[in-house]
Amino acid sequence: MKPVILIIACTITLLAGGIQFEHDFNSALQKAEKQNKEVMMMYSAPWCPECNYMKEVVFKNKNVLAYIQKHFIVLSLDIQKDKLPKGFDFIGIPTFFFLDKKAKEKDKIIGGSKADVFLQKLKAVK
Amino acid sequence: MKPIIISMLVCSTLLFAFNRDDFKHLKEEGDCPKCDLSYADLRGIDLSMSDFTDANLTHANLGSTLAHKADFTRADLNYAVFANANIKGASFVSARLKSVNFYAARIWKGNFSHARIDHCNFNESALGSAIFDDNNLTNSTFSGAILYKTVFHKNVVGVPGK
Repeated sequence: MKPVILIIACTITLLAGGIQFEHDFNSALQKAEKQNKEVMMMYSAPWCPECNYMKEVVFKNKNVLAYIQKHFIVLSLDIQKDKLPKGFDFIGIPTFFFLDKKAKEKDKIIGGSKADVFLQKLKAVK
Repeated sequence: MKPIIISMLVCSTLLFAFNRDDFKHLKEEGDCPKCDLSYADLRGIDLSMSDFTDANLTHANLGSTLAHKADFTRADLNYAVFANANIKGASFVSARLKSVNFYAARIWKGNFSHARIDHCNFNESALGSAIFDDNNLTNSTFSGAILYKTVFHKNVVGVPGK
């Protein structure tokens, strides 16, 4: 019975087509290596309207979604629960860190923006 | 000769229209309620959480400034510039906002309750979760602004997009 439920759950997730957020640093890195993608680490909070706008609006924009799904594994860390890994620093949320193959900061985007602007920034980072 | 001297005097007065002691106070203390900072160039100063209640900031330049949670309650901000500024959570309650340039400013959770808004430029600004209450927005522009979960109370006239 369990595999059936799992298959249904996976199918629903795929059909929903949204970004699958990772919440563990190491598993995000492993996944990125496996899929030959980069890690985009989002540092945010549920009480932050700018962060919620990014998750609820910008990440659902079809162009942004397609670009992120093609190039990145998205690691979502919560400022209230998760400490930033060593070597990363921030001045405000949301901050989007882009990691290189050695798990070091390659670049970052501070703050949210509209879908078209965010997509431009993503392309500049990539 | 006299007209030249007079015009030089006028120009020098315009260049330092603000109160220099107030400006010094702001730089040292980070707050400046009831100050005269009209025409002051405040770019590059960290004004986060600063208190500007009842201050005179007419024609002040706060472009690209970091001033999140700054308090501009009842401040006179007529003709001030906030273009590209980060003013998340700032309070503009009962402030005078005539011809203020908020172009591309980040004003998430800003509070504009009872502010006298007239001919302001909010184009490309981020006004998510900002609060508008008892305002007339008829003459202001909001082209390309983020209005995600922005609160417009029933008494607001000229709500964008309506």
